[in-house]
Amino acid sequence: MKHALKGFLASTTVLAAMSQAAWAVDLEFYFPVAVGGSAAETIEGLTEAYMAENPDVSIEAIYTGSYADTTTRAITASRGGNPPQLAILLSVDMFTMIDEDLVLPWDDFLTEEEMEDWVGGFYPAFMRNSQTGGQTWGIPFQRSTPVLYWNKEAFAAAGLDPETPPATWQEMVEFGEALTIRDDSGTVTQWGVRIPSSGFPSWLFTGLVASAGQDGLANDAGTEVYFDTPEVIGALEYLVALANEHEVMEPGILDWGATPRAFMDGNAAMVWTTTGNLTNIRTNAPFDFGVGMLPANERPGAPTGGGNFYLFQGSSDEQLAAAVDFVQWATAPEQAAEWSIATGYVAPRADTWESERMQAYAQEVPGALVAREQLAHAVPELSTFEGPRITQIINDAIAAAIVGDMTPAEAMADAQDAADAILAVYR
Amino acid sequence: MSTLAIPASRLDLDRALFMVGAWALALVWLLPLAYAVWTAIHPAAFETRFEPFAPLTLENFVRAWNAAPFARYFVNTILLVTMILTAQLILCSLAAFAFARFEFPGKNTLFALVLVQLMVMPDILLVRNYATMGSLGLIDTILAIGLPYFASGFAIFLLRQTFKTVPRELDEAARVEGCSWPGLLWRVYVPLAKPTMLAFGLVSISHHWNNFIWPLIITSSVETRPLTVGLSIFATTDSGIEWSIITAATLITSAPLLIGFLLFQRQFVQSFMRAGIK
Repeated sequence: MKHALKGFLASTTVLAAMSQAAWAVDLEFYFPVAVGGSAAETIEGLTEAYMAENPDVSIEAIYTGSYADTTTRAITASRGGNPPQLAILLSVDMFTMIDEDLVLPWDDFLTEEEMEDWVGGFYPAFMRNSQTGGQTWGIPFQRSTPVLYWNKEAFAAAGLDPETPPATWQEMVEFGEALTIRDDSGTVTQWGVRIPSSGFPSWLFTGLVASAGQDGLANDAGTEVYFDTPEVIGALEYLVALANEHEVMEPGILDWGATPRAFMDGNAAMVWTTTGNLTNIRTNAPFDFGVGMLPANERPGAPTGGGNFYLFQGSSDEQLAAAVDFVQWATAPEQAAEWSIATGYVAPRADTWESERMQAYAQEVPGALVAREQLAHAVPELSTFEGPRITQIINDAIAAAIVGDMTPAEAMADAQDAADAILAVYR
Repeated sequence: MSTLAIPASRLDLDRALFMVGAWALALVWLLPLAYAVWTAIHPAAFETRFEPFAPLTLENFVRAWNAAPFARYFVNTILLVTMILTAQLILCSLAAFAFARFEFPGKNTLFALVLVQLMVMPDILLVRNYATMGSLGLIDTILAIGLPYFASGFAIFLLRQTFKTVPRELDEAARVEGCSWPGLLWRVYVPLAKPTMLAFGLVSISHHWNNFIWPLIITSSVETRPLTVGLSIFATTDSGIEWSIITAATLITSAPLLIGFLLFQRQFVQSFMRAGIK
């Protein structure tokens, strides 16, 4: 047994030495998968294509579960002395990763020119969750934004123009009233609208807050949250009223994961969910549907979401240089277009949208363009220090208001106090 | 003799209540499984609609099977649970035997330390275990997934309690016949503890068959990863969950356990009753 173990160890050492001779730089790259289809294969295909072009770099792309699992693994491996060089984590994890002192700012590895041309080339809406304190901590890659999907057949049946989605909160209620169908016994067979309230309630809620005229739920330094403003309370009152007062949305907590199915089965005529669902709905919906921006109130607005590339501490200069080069390559128009088309994520750079492939795709799937246009009105997703705890606080407050345990104003005042108590130490 | 005094109608009522309760519990247990089977064998359009004559399909299974290298993952998981259970039974029988039958200084303190292990959530030790595996050079091996679980405090405790119930007379008789310590353990204690071992084996196998976060963190390659990691690629929160695929994949990955349990159900239930674990 001992001999076998020794032999095994020796052979791995030899192997490691050999691979080092063959490959100048080894990189480990963690990626989560949060969309269906062949996202994992696409990422592996991209890394292989890069290695074919750069034979002196070897990238091991490691699938690491959901976003939360990937963050756990990245923190564990870093603490255990074996950090990856690159990982895709939620953009809102930026403050957590800085707080844990595990990541490096990209600025140190880029020339001024690259900062301007490359980093400056991403849509500013995406960079707001990627930069803080004058430094860039994340490079946008699998980014998304929520949009409104509407059932054109249901619109036509209700006497609405099937080509026009609701543009304002008021219209969404009016359309919703026309679209809500009850059978003789009063049971609803088709709801007007569905804004899911499990999964990522704070994310979709940020869309309402943005339309109410508030620029996101936190400051850019991640140390202040604005939960108890009139805008936020007004947004929550609107959300609650959709179900209770106007009766155009199913009451109670609505499941995130079941929302596309509810739309495709005709249970809800309009749904709010991520652009990431576009491919799924396009393939499986048995009717013609449209994709529109979230309706406006004071102004149009929506949050951004999704994952960024992060660069990890504890790697050699050669590894970091190779990692930066790989990310520059992966976000270049051709690769970004391939990724965006395969997954449905929003291509985060204007030059990608100008590429021929992306133009052809946008022509074929006009819905894909809505997300890009909405970026002009986008606000950052809630991102603060102690992010998961703060998000939990507002999610609980939203749930309490929806089920009627508290009024929106009470729930948000409580949430503000709880969040302030946690964030005080970071101010 | 008081039971005889109870009127027959009350006995019937008792029995009826008992039957209703048992059936209700069984249905609650069965419903998710029934939903999984229903969804997995029908096209996606019937995920949330019940139509008795909906078209049947096996396509979900094919798509699920092809979405990840499940054949390899099966091999890995089976290797993993076999390795862990074998190591646990050997190590923990020896430790339990020592705690049950030997006298040595610090015995009670040591046993208390073993019990402490029962109160520590394994998740707390992720970073520490990762660092240990790193220093042993075992990252990304199946051995590394199992190693932290070999010396199971639960198994030691359970087997010690069982060994303590073995009559001293049997132990002494064997020793009078000239049986050595290892022989005594092997010939007297282990055979008598079989129901406990079977019960523990079931708990251990199902736990490690389903374990997810530690294997995900410590492994990186297809050659070492277990089924649960393969299953997790279907949890696609950003794009809406395809229930038909996820239920098909769940049935594929849990089938061996389910079939095993149904086949050996009687033995399992008996051994649980004898070992007193619930």
